[in-house]
Amino acid sequence: MTHGGDILKVGNEGREVFWNAPFPTEPILFLFTAIVLAIAAYGVYLRWQMWTAIGKPEDRTDQPKERIRSLIINGLFQVRTFREYYAGIFHSLIFFGFFVLIFGAAVDATQFHIGLPFFHGKFYLWFSLLMEIFGLAVLAGVVMALVRRYVLKPDLLGYQGKPDNTFDDAVVLILIGAIIVTGFIIESLRIYVNYNLDGYTWEVWSFVGFALSHIYTGISYDSVRMAHKVMWWTHSFLTFAFIAYLPWSRLMHIITSPVNQYMKSLKPKGYLEPIRDFETAETFGVGKLEAFTWKQIFDSDACTRCGRCQDGCPAYLSKKPLSPKKLVQDIKTHWEDRVKIVLAARKLAKEKGGEPEIPPPDKALLGDVIDMHELWACTNCMYCMENCPVYVEHVPKIISMRQCKVLMDAEFSPELQLTYRNMENNSNPWGIGGHLRADWAKEIGVKTLAEDPNVEYLFYVGCSGSFDDRGKKVSVAFAKILKAAGVSFGILGTEEGCCGDSAMRGGNEYLYQSLAQANIELMNGYGVKKIICTCPHGYNALKKDYPHFGGNFEVYHHSEILADLIAGGRIRLKKAVSSLCTYHDSCFLGRYNDIYEQPRKVLSAVPGVRMVEMKRNLEKSFCCGAGGGRMWMEEDIGERINDMRTDQAIEAGAETIAVACPFCLTMMADGIKDRAMEEKMKSLDIAEIVWDAMDLEEAQAAPAAPSE
Amino acid sequence: MNIVACVKQVPDTEALIKVKPDGSGIDEGGIKWVMNPYDEYGVEEALRLKEAKGGEVTIVSVGPARAMETIRTALAMGAEKGVHVSDPLLDNTDAYTTAAALAAVIKGLNPDIIFCGQRAIDDDSGQVGSILAAILGIPQVTIVTKLEMADGKIKAIKPIEGAQLVIESTLPCVITTQKGLNEPRYASLPGIMKAKKKPVDVKNAAALGIATEPKAKVAKMTPPPDRAPGKIIAGDDPAAKAAELVRLLREEAKVI
Ligand code: SF4
Ligand code: SF4
Repeated sequence: MTHGGDILKVGNEGREVFWNAPFPTEPILFLFTAIVLAIAAYGVYLRWQMWTAIGKPEDRTDQPKERIRSLIINGLFQVRTFREYYAGIFHSLIFFGFFVLIFGAAVDATQFHIGLPFFHGKFYLWFSLLMEIFGLAVLAGVVMALVRRYVLKPDLLGYQGKPDNTFDDAVVLILIGAIIVTGFIIESLRIYVNYNLDGYTWEVWSFVGFALSHIYTGISYDSVRMAHKVMWWTHSFLTFAFIAYLPWSRLMHIITSPVNQYMKSLKPKGYLEPIRDFETAETFGVGKLEAFTWKQIFDSDACTRCGRCQDGCPAYLSKKPLSPKKLVQDIKTHWEDRVKIVLAARKLAKEKGGEPEIPPPDKALLGDVIDMHELWACTNCMYCMENCPVYVEHVPKIISMRQCKVLMDAEFSPELQLTYRNMENNSNPWGIGGHLRADWAKEIGVKTLAEDPNVEYLFYVGCSGSFDDRGKKVSVAFAKILKAAGVSFGILGTEEGCCGDSAMRGGNEYLYQSLAQANIELMNGYGVKKIICTCPHGYNALKKDYPHFGGNFEVYHHSEILADLIAGGRIRLKKAVSSLCTYHDSCFLGRYNDIYEQPRKVLSAVPGVRMVEMKRNLEKSFCCGAGGGRMWMEEDIGERINDMRTDQAIEAGAETIAVACPFCLTMMADGIKDRAMEEKMKSLDIAEIVWDAMDLEEAQAAPAAPSE
Repeated sequence: MNIVACVKQVPDTEALIKVKPDGSGIDEGGIKWVMNPYDEYGVEEALRLKEAKGGEVTIVSVGPARAMETIRTALAMGAEKGVHVSDPLLDNTDAYTTAAALAAVIKGLNPDIIFCGQRAIDDDSGQVGSILAAILGIPQVTIVTKLEMADGKIKAIKPIEGAQLVIESTLPCVITTQKGLNEPRYASLPGIMKAKKKPVDVKNAAALGIATEPKAKVAKMTPPPDRAPGKIIAGDDPAAKAAELVRLLREEAKVI
């Protein structure tokens, strides 16, 4: 390397921006830039028209500070995108690479037009190096993406085993790759001349171009100059193509994703807008596209088909027809078809005068676009929403479509009809006589608020804790813990009613509100301030939905209370409970309420308990299958979700599946039975484990009553 | 077609039933009242018939003021109007008087077909439909699990021990409905809202011109005896305990 010694000599390093591209390059570039920008703007305008054509109003521009924060975290720093490593890495390589390259192009342009006093010397060298690195990064990202999509073919880029790649997917990746490759080639051609002929020794800093430049050894400088010109224009036109193609392709997500991230719901997780006008409204829920809000429609356009939502959807993974990705994409396709008709009809009406005649859709949203088996397979587990990088909101859409089936059409499964009747008549899904609700508490003597309203906490037991045999044992254990810890509490006894969660999530908002109102009236009547729930479904409803109807309470889950009591030394865990424990996150506790830590802390505090995590945990945890009203419905398609979850616990080697939800408890117990693992495994609520470890049960000398 | 469905309001099957101390009836406090499940099949069948053939469904009920809720439930399912016979003199009356009250209402409705549940789950008497048909002087087919209508006639299926009868009848007639006939629908929300505004005529015994003195009276109601508590055989020697168990089963329980 003859020039090697000069590298460190800083002085005249730099380059001419439009090297080898004499007049009329600039006017042509301007002209084309103007044209492609116009094409892109027109494309965005057309899409804008479509976004604003149909859908009910909804405000998603309040709290701009919060929204900008979300945009920076997930748009700029790609935090959610990283939840899946491979995709997170390649997307970031392309994303950040592009960011830097565009910045570089801007520097180039400024240098050319205005001149940058610092565009030489050290700055230039580092600039060159940076461009090389990020150019390579984009290229590596594109290769990773191509390999993933066309070689690895992960299931999330398809539906039921078939890839759902489109032509556009390939075009976009190849286009990006080609822009970078041509960029490097131009550079190498220039360097070949500059380095060898003009003695620009510093070109080694552009190491990719420098390395490539060796290929041309022996070729005449004029030919290389010619080739450079050709490549330069190729590169420019590829870049123009990229800009012009943007709104017509999946590249549009460069706009829609950040917009959707900006407009994400700022309400508490799992929030559902209550129906407020039962008396006056003529329709309830969503039975046709136009009944969605514009944001719900925009959502489906913002979906990037990345498949992350599908990747942990219990319904999809258990081979049911529902895939949240497919659901959103089906709505999108339906919208694209429908909105064109609507816009055309409006245009015609404008020309001719009069009202637009919009023909009815040839496909029904419920039944044709969205199959009923899809609609009812959802467990409301929120995996999809919690893991979607662009904050698409699936669950509210699903519930509002269920509302239409239940409230308007009264067409839904007979099992669920029976459940609702039971809830109407006896205020519990099983339909067991309401007078038996407090029987579990008889033996341990828990006072009702009617007997003594001057207590700190109301223990809202809920239906499982009151009627289900396993649930009752949890209620007993928890009540005994509270008593032992000297916590002042009472129950509502037979006055308590169903929280209504299953009705609400199953689309029966009317029934839900009547149940909620009955409870709220009762609780307010007793002046209740603080409530503890052992069931995450009741916890979530009381905490987040009851305030809509005048029920403003401080609501705690028993895992929070237990963690506090242990931390505060108010209960002592004396007995070793030797077991390899895995904690199964309840969706309504974890994803809905971010309670991941407390139950784990409680378990870790129990002497003898060793913890092991299942592969799917925390915000990527796998649902037990019982949420969203699914607890009460037959599961006759595909595999049983609870069995799949049990398998995951078996795989982790757990001896105990610890839960903090009565639905999960039932589902895991059934799963253990289905897998014939009763001898080796059990499922227990954390309260049962804690009570056992407290070792306060009176010596059970007398033969234990035979359990069922 | 004019279709009538008779309904009775009864305590929910899961309700805790307490007999009044004087044995005159049940204590109604805290009871959740629902439509008699067998009557629901009748309402559903009436609605299906209307949907297939056109016409109108009228709900008729004899019962205290609270029975209005049950009429509204049937209206929410889709019936057009209701008649509520409400009179303290008719509270807890017998099957005959109930049927007479229903007949008095139904005569004026000029129906093509009348549905009644095959029995009510509260008093289990199973007579009202039959007495109603007798008073009206029209045929009856009881305990029906399938119904077809064609050419002004009905063809009904009634299960009997080990077989089923296919019965044809002219119209008008009374059909008493049995589980299996259909799956009663869940009322839609617009249905519930509309039901609040549908017309319900309230009539008393005098307006119907019927005698209110029941022919049969409940003389006394007693709760079933409490189940005797279980016995636990104490002791340490399994053989002795087994012997004791055998003795008790033979001598006390008299099952072996
Ligand atoms: S909430 Fe859960 S079950 Fe429903 S679509 Fe999303 S991931 Fe699937
Ligand atoms: S909804 Fe979200 S997670 Fe699902 S495919 Fe679309 S962008 Fe990806």
